Amino acid sequence: MKTLGLIIVGLVGAGLVYATIDFPPFGDPKSPASLHVSPRYLEKTVEETAVPNAVTSVLGDYRGFDTMFETTVIFCAGVACFLLLRIPRRRSSGPRQYRHRLTGLTFRIKEGGEIFLPLREFEPVDSIWTPHDFIIEKVCRYLIPFIQLFGLYVIAHGHHSPGGGFQGGVILGASIILLSVSHNLRTALNRMGEKISALFSPVGVFIFAGTGALCLVLGYRFLDYQALAALLPGGPIMARSHGILLVEVGVGMAVMGTMVWIFKNLASRGRYDEGL
Amino acid sequence: MSEHYPALLVILPLLASFFISAAGWLRPVCCFPLALAALGSSLLVSLGLLGDVISGGPVSYWMGGWPPPWGIYYRVDYLNALVLAVVCAVGFVNLIAARPSVEKDFPEKAGPFYTLYVLFVTGLLGMVATGDAFNLYVLLEIAAITGYALIALGKGRAALSSLHYVFLGTIGACFYLLGVGYLYIITGSLNMEDIARLLPPLYESKVVTVAFAILMVGVWLKMGFFPLHAWLPNAYTYAPSPVSSLVAPLMTKVMVYVMIRMVLTVFTVDFAFLVLRLNEVVVWLAVIAIVMGSLLALAEKDVKRMLTFIVVAEVGYMVGGFWLGNQAGFTGAVLHILNDALMTLCLFLAVGNIVHVNGDSRWESLPGLFRTMPWTMGALVVGALSIIGVPPTCGFFSKWYLLLGAIQGGHYGFLVALLFSSLVSVVLFFRIFEIGFFEPFGASHGSAHGEGGPAIQEAPLGMLVPLWMTALGLILVGLYTGEIVGRVIRHAVPGMML
Repeated sequence: MKTLGLIIVGLVGAGLVYATIDFPPFGDPKSPASLHVSPRYLEKTVEETAVPNAVTSVLGDYRGFDTMFETTVIFCAGVACFLLLRIPRRRSSGPRQYRHRLTGLTFRIKEGGEIFLPLREFEPVDSIWTPHDFIIEKVCRYLIPFIQLFGLYVIAHGHHSPGGGFQGGVILGASIILLSVSHNLRTALNRMGEKISALFSPVGVFIFAGTGALCLVLGYRFLDYQALAALLPGGPIMARSHGILLVEVGVGMAVMGTMVWIFKNLASRGRYDEGL
Repeated sequence: MSEHYPALLVILPLLASFFISAAGWLRPVCCFPLALAALGSSLLVSLGLLGDVISGGPVSYWMGGWPPPWGIYYRVDYLNALVLAVVCAVGFVNLIAARPSVEKDFPEKAGPFYTLYVLFVTGLLGMVATGDAFNLYVLLEIAAITGYALIALGKGRAALSSLHYVFLGTIGACFYLLGVGYLYIITGSLNMEDIARLLPPLYESKVVTVAFAILMVGVWLKMGFFPLHAWLPNAYTYAPSPVSSLVAPLMTKVMVYVMIRMVLTVFTVDFAFLVLRLNEVVVWLAVIAIVMGSLLALAEKDVKRMLTFIVVAEVGYMVGGFWLGNQAGFTGAVLHILNDALMTLCLFLAVGNIVHVNGDSRWESLPGLFRTMPWTMGALVVGALSIIGVPPTCGFFSKWYLLLGAIQGGHYGFLVALLFSSLVSVVLFFRIFEIGFFEPFGASHGSAHGEGGPAIQEAPLGMLVPLWMTALGLILVGLYTGEIVGRVIRHAVPGMML
């Protein structure tokens, strides 16, 4: 069976390589891909959408409909992880113990009991818990605000430089994950609760799809940002640029929320109790 | 408003899914009504579209207002208007039937469940409506991811079967994407009709041939075409019943539609049938699929698992019918997309009711069911007759067209396979009827019910009504076959096949 699989893989690979004989030469400016649709994107992006970065204008406007569904894919992934991993009723995980850092007093929490202790002052006492490094904790605390600021910059500056909602959202999400890795899951949960991260993703995608639907309500086609000229200053061309910005903000929110949401579900095995 | 129908069809359930997801956190009672409203409005829009297409010809819609080769556009013609209506109808009817089992099996997860349910239908609708090859891939991803998650929700080996499906489904989707990528390299376009316009001078290119091959294999993998069906039986068996009755009727049928669309609109019939001359080979593959699917079904002792192999055989019907390459075969294949979706829905709903009441669908749980669950079993009989192909149920008519196509095309192998599979279906279902009707009502329920026989233990009304709607639908669609073929499908037949 293994040999058969190997032969099939070899044949398919050979077929794919065989077809490259008829490919246009690599980097050929006369290849069909650079002659048919792309020239309009490159030449008219400023004229038609007032966005200098052609990648952003293609993703956000010309093929914005695809991007909306790509964001929805991310949302689906978040909901799927939640649906499959989250354990709604608290599983009994045995009694747990916490030590007060300053006084050394130890608290025992009964099976299934709530953790009410302020985690800053207590540390869990169990075999899998490892004490956190002071330096890492402090460095990350000072780093995270700047990471988040950079994430916002990447979202907002996608019109002019590489960036946009997906990249900025990932940076924002990573900052929360870093908080959780460097401190612990509960610290991250206190900053951004389960409900908040779970609501961020649908709200983010809703901003995208809602912007499109707003255009439809205003009498234009779905996602035709020109319609926003009725609500925003700057005429129909600038409205396209503004529309893309709105949509990018939605994408950023959705990506950030979903990343954090998936991380929490995976890291705590759906229990939202202890974790990384 | 009606000019926005193609967009609304997809946008309404999409927007609703965000509200359902939020309602899951804020107000869980609202999830089901929201989902029902979303799919209900989609159904109305799809019927409106079908009416528009019948009265005024194909409709297209430019997303974002950009003209076709640059932007994405939706195009609804005679072929997909029908499929859209079927997808909406199946999604809507099954949603009603899903509620009791959701409340019984995973009440606390209703919010995410309905969110993914509605998104799954959205993905399928988009795949059917779109006129852009890459957009189709994106929507395929949505339908696939939501499908994997819903299937993994089942008990027992569901998660493992879903993982298996994830691996194979991802390979299938990748192959499709590779095919589209090859086409883009050689033509520079992603728009289906634009590609078709640019392709003729490139027919001799190796890139187009390889793109066609790899794209077809990807699509076949996703639809469970016989040698590539390995993921299907387990995934559909272990899925929770409201999920199997959603995914089994729709996913394979929509992939068959995608295959037809790709050949018809992107590569064109001339290329597939005259340049590559693949038709003979594919029809023989379909013959193998039908025969093997039927034989494997014969080996099963669980009704649900048996049905999954019938799905494998039915995929062979549609693929073979299309690749016969004549008018009757094409009509049969398209009509069978509609009919098979309804038949599969009816059977899976009936099995879902049995599982809901009895806990499982193995043969040991069948004895005496005609007495305890008369309504469910009655609908099962209607669905079974339709699969076998007894008039006036709709299964007869599509099989008739397929047989006609086989005779016209002179393909007697396909003809024999169809008849063989019908005979096997007779055996399959009459075995079930025999056990359910004649076998002594077992010791498990014992004498507690006394002399008058066991009491009726029927599924809740919320599951029976959709089941009987589907069962009556089978007969209605059968009676109106002439209308459907004459007004819709006849116009979808490509010129070369006439």
